[in-house]
Amino acid sequence: MLGFDLGKYRTMVVSIALFLVLDLGVLILNFVISSEIDKDAVNINLAGRQRMLSQRMAKTALQIEARNAQGQPSEKEAKELAQAHATFDGTLNAFIAGGNTLSGAGKDIHVERIDDAHAQAILAEAKGLWTPFSTAVRGLGDKGAPSPEAAAGIARQAEAVNLSLLKLMNDLTTRCEQLSSDKATTLRMVQVSGITLATINFLIILFHFLRHLRESDRLVEKARRETDNILQTTQEGLFLLDDKFAMGTQHSKALAGIIGTDRIAEQDFLAILRPMVTQKTLDTAKEYIELLFQPEIKEKLVASLNPLNHVEIHQAQGAGEMSTRYLQFGFNRVREEGRITHLLVTANDITRRVKLEQELKATEERAKGQMGMLVEILQVDPSDMHRFLRAANEGLGHINNHLMEQGGGKAEQKINAIYRITHRLKGDAGALGLSMLATPFHELEEVLDGLRGRPNVTGEEFLPITVHLKALFEQLETVGSAVTRIAQMRGVVTVEPPRPQIDPAEAVPRVVSQWQAFTRQIADRQQRQVQLSYSGIDLQKLAPVLQESINSMVTQFVRNAVVHGIEPPAERRARGKPESGRIAVYVSQREDGGADLSFRDDGKGLSIAKLREAAVRAGKLTAEEAATLDHRRIVALIFEPGVSTREAVDEDAGRGAGLDAVKDMIARLGGTVRIGSTPGEYCHFRISLPAQPEQLAAAA
Amino acid sequence: MDETQLKVFVGIVQRYFEKITGKAAEVGTPFLGQPKELPIHDFTGVIGISGSQRGCVYFSAPAQMLKELLLRAGETDLSEDNFADLTGEIANTISGNARREFGSEFLISVPVVVRGSGQHITVPKDVRAYVIPLRWHKIAASLVVSVAKA
Repeated sequence: MLGFDLGKYRTMVVSIALFLVLDLGVLILNFVISSEIDKDAVNINLAGRQRMLSQRMAKTALQIEARNAQGQPSEKEAKELAQAHATFDGTLNAFIAGGNTLSGAGKDIHVERIDDAHAQAILAEAKGLWTPFSTAVRGLGDKGAPSPEAAAGIARQAEAVNLSLLKLMNDLTTRCEQLSSDKATTLRMVQVSGITLATINFLIILFHFLRHLRESDRLVEKARRETDNILQTTQEGLFLLDDKFAMGTQHSKALAGIIGTDRIAEQDFLAILRPMVTQKTLDTAKEYIELLFQPEIKEKLVASLNPLNHVEIHQAQGAGEMSTRYLQFGFNRVREEGRITHLLVTANDITRRVKLEQELKATEERAKGQMGMLVEILQVDPSDMHRFLRAANEGLGHINNHLMEQGGGKAEQKINAIYRITHRLKGDAGALGLSMLATPFHELEEVLDGLRGRPNVTGEEFLPITVHLKALFEQLETVGSAVTRIAQMRGVVTVEPPRPQIDPAEAVPRVVSQWQAFTRQIADRQQRQVQLSYSGIDLQKLAPVLQESINSMVTQFVRNAVVHGIEPPAERRARGKPESGRIAVYVSQREDGGADLSFRDDGKGLSIAKLREAAVRAGKLTAEEAATLDHRRIVALIFEPGVSTREAVDEDAGRGAGLDAVKDMIARLGGTVRIGSTPGEYCHFRISLPAQPEQLAAAA
Repeated sequence: MDETQLKVFVGIVQRYFEKITGKAAEVGTPFLGQPKELPIHDFTGVIGISGSQRGCVYFSAPAQMLKELLLRAGETDLSEDNFADLTGEIANTISGNARREFGSEFLISVPVVVRGSGQHITVPKDVRAYVIPLRWHKIAASLVVSVAKA
């Protein structure tokens, strides 16, 4: 109604208005009644004058009569009587019906009719007495002095009405005083009532509003305490942000810890963000906040654009260490009367949640990747797996030792040494069916192959080897931990029956089964048919180092025989051989505790011509040297690194590293090797390994 | 960290030596080192790595190398403080260039200089670090990269 909402102050305004209305009412009544009292005062004066005039008229009438009797002139008295008559008559008529009369000062004044029954009754009675006397007196002044008879008549009439008229005018005066007194009493009552009401109203205002104010203060205080408690205890960072990016004066205690600063109140939010985020994120955040202050933009629609929903921040700590935390800022509009005045910003440290999510994701990915690995691991006997893992770790350690040796001019030796280890481990992994390890070893082998034979290999060029080495170490650790977990599971529940050391059905040693499986695997890949047979002692009787070495050597010989020796079935048929090639392995124990290994295949044997070509291709010999070198030395070339009669490289062969690795092993064990071969018929390796120092130490 | 990324670090150090002395540092064969066996010389400048990979990269050199470098740069103040400043400068160069090379891939901290070969540098536990031996005028120094996936 007034164009603005009085809200909670409405009652107060109404009360104050009522107070003023009461005061105004009293004032008006006071004015009206005072005015009435003024009029009554005039009436009292006039009534008093009437009383005096009645006496004067009687006295003057008697004087006129006396002067006439003495023969003295009486014009002056007659005139005075006429004037008193006129004044009395005018005033009496004015009292009865309202009209003009002369005031005490001789001025013409208006007198209102006296609205009082009692006064009117007095006036009516006075009028009754007055009229005959008035008729006798009327016109006296104009006619000059009356005759003695007329004067005597007037005097007698005056005597007749004088006392009654005096009494009536006296009554009238008293009545007027009474009326005035009544009005004065009314006025006092009105004033007292008005002031009383105003006082009551004031007290109501005072008590009502004091109570309300105190209640309101109590609620405000309570709300402030609650807000303080919330801000002090909440784990979230809370603050208000205005459209100038200034942070509010109030914020939750946790905020300082979350954003890493105590200076928050009225600070520029973007300045606080700047060191935490990239410039791009900062720019996007600024635009996003500006968007939220635009009322036409739907808050929920743009929520997904919040660039601060997931902020990764990094803080330096100590010597080169950096800590990473993840923060989440949420923004909600704060409206007052429909206008967006602020944004309520909620800041959370979500590091723990993010890290858990990352761990969960990593675990899931690991689990996915480990499924294939677990299948492969489960195929391998646990003791073989442990042996392999130990040997592989040692092998990688040796590779790292080779890398650690600094000094120029030995790069080629270093590469070849690393190559041999890699190739052997690749073979061992392949023999166990562990493709997840054979593959990375193969990849490292490829890197090494790229460096072999190259002059002046720089230290920097070794970098990919080191990178692969690290990856292999990690892969071995992954496999190792998977093996441990499987072992733990086997300890708790029987996943599968423990494998017997020797297959009871055919009494084939487990290691031989593996060689046979490996042979089939390579034969399938190379489109050959090959069968491996074993005769000799149980390898378990040998010292562990000999077992591992023989196993590793047989693996390399199998690969070599299937790829280079055994002919394709059609070719064998054409040569009059059985389609399926044969490999015979024989191991015996030497008297000194060492072992002899015999490995024979019925393939095409060593081709001296091809070996010559391979040696030239690998840069080991010139064409002339190759042509003149005797057979024995040509055959010995098969143990040289990089010499392969295979022209194409694949997972199984072609790099000429397998026999190099065998030679390296034999040399390390102090053994000897002899080769026998007839072209088109067979190839036969005979290895003799002496007892190893740890055996001798144990025996002593 | 892959080979390309490692080469960036190696390249930065080599270029620094070449720019200051006209002779690039020779790089030995890089190998892996366990956290407790990493080479630490007299002065080490460490920069922290964060982001998708976490850990640190440090350049560690003996006082003799730093002295030679200062002499070649025409410096006469051969105090330890100046050695530390030079180490900080090398680490800063690594940090600044790496930041430019890797952009948002990693976050790289401001370098910290640690004095003394007996000091401990905090590197990620259970992670084999890449040790890249450096040699300049027959004096050996090391660049070590020890990071793990976050």
